[in-house]
Amino acid sequence: MGASLGTGDKKSVNVELNIVPFIDLMSCLTAFLLVTAVWVNIAQINIQPKGKTRDTQNVQQDDEHVTLSVLVQADKIYVGISRVNEFQEIPKKAPGEQDWEKFESTLKEHKASAYFSDRSDLEIAAESTSASPVQYQDIIHAMDVAVKVGFIDVGLTDPAGLAARPSL
Amino acid sequence: MPVHAAGPRLYHSVKFKHLVHKSGSGAGQRASNISLNLTPFVDMMTILVCFLLMVFSAGGQLLQAQRGLELPIADSREALQEAPVIIVTKDEITYQGQLVATVDSVMRDDSPTFKIDALYERLESAAKKIKENVNGVGTSTRPLPKDLKKACDDAKQNIRPQPGHICPDGLAILQADQETDARLINKIVNTAKIAGFDNLLFAVKNK
Repeated sequence: MGASLGTGDKKSVNVELNIVPFIDLMSCLTAFLLVTAVWVNIAQINIQPKGKTRDTQNVQQDDEHVTLSVLVQADKIYVGISRVNEFQEIPKKAPGEQDWEKFESTLKEHKASAYFSDRSDLEIAAESTSASPVQYQDIIHAMDVAVKVGFIDVGLTDPAGLAARPSL
Repeated sequence: MPVHAAGPRLYHSVKFKHLVHKSGSGAGQRASNISLNLTPFVDMMTILVCFLLMVFSAGGQLLQAQRGLELPIADSREALQEAPVIIVTKDEITYQGQLVATVDSVMRDDSPTFKIDALYERLESAAKKIKENVNGVGTSTRPLPKDLKKACDDAKQNIRPQPGHICPDGLAILQADQETDARLINKIVNTAKIAGFDNLLFAVKNK
């Protein structure tokens, strides 16, 4: 960058900076950053496939081990404890939308209970049929709420693999 | 053709006198140089560069943009890490960019094994290679970074890994459309588990 400084007594003391290289550099940098910019923030939810699968029907569940199970259906969500086998039903709030606030408060109650105060595991399953499909977004939403409440070890299983299922 | 001395030609050959008069920068006799005030331009460029540097991230390179794929939305802020990617769009299932099966064919399949055979074959061979690489017995020329090596040692002792530093053994990314049927997700998760991928990262979009 060139600069000329008036040093004489009667000459101008104004400094003239050559900003052309600076503008060149800025232009190149701006173009590069605009091209490589990521405008969508992508994150992840970490899960472990859990429970019995259809290939491993003979997995034995420890009777003393209590598991918090969540079953997501198209029109409701069940939350229950495996050993007690009591399921709480959370129906849809409005057509097309699950009651996620109620689901969150229910999980918070379980998290505060003696069973799960020092635990962070939970299992989720989604029961989808052709007549009443469950979308992937609902599974992610349920997992997201569970992680937010404190159940960070989320396990995903198929409905048959849940430690406990609601008796219909 | 006569040879003229070097100098400005355009001004004399093209009649721009009306413009010169209107701009008031010179009345034909005076210099026609126009000095631009570059200060606002430089200010704008500086602010733009600062903003772009702040939002600059290399994480977006892990996933490929797919037509007809809208990621589900979640609050989770955990950063993704590099792993084999299973992509589920509205029409097809791909593994590492290669078509494995169509969604229709998988949804029609009612086999009792509850797994996707074509995906299983690819995942199983990939899982074997990753395991060999992690154990240092494979032919891979890319050694495992130190932090991931430590994560693998921690995993053997059941120590929880830090987000973004999970042992690559059995780790895969599922990038699925938000409207995908849960039955398909169950099949893919089950297939991945049987093939040896027992730690899945579900790619989500932040709100």
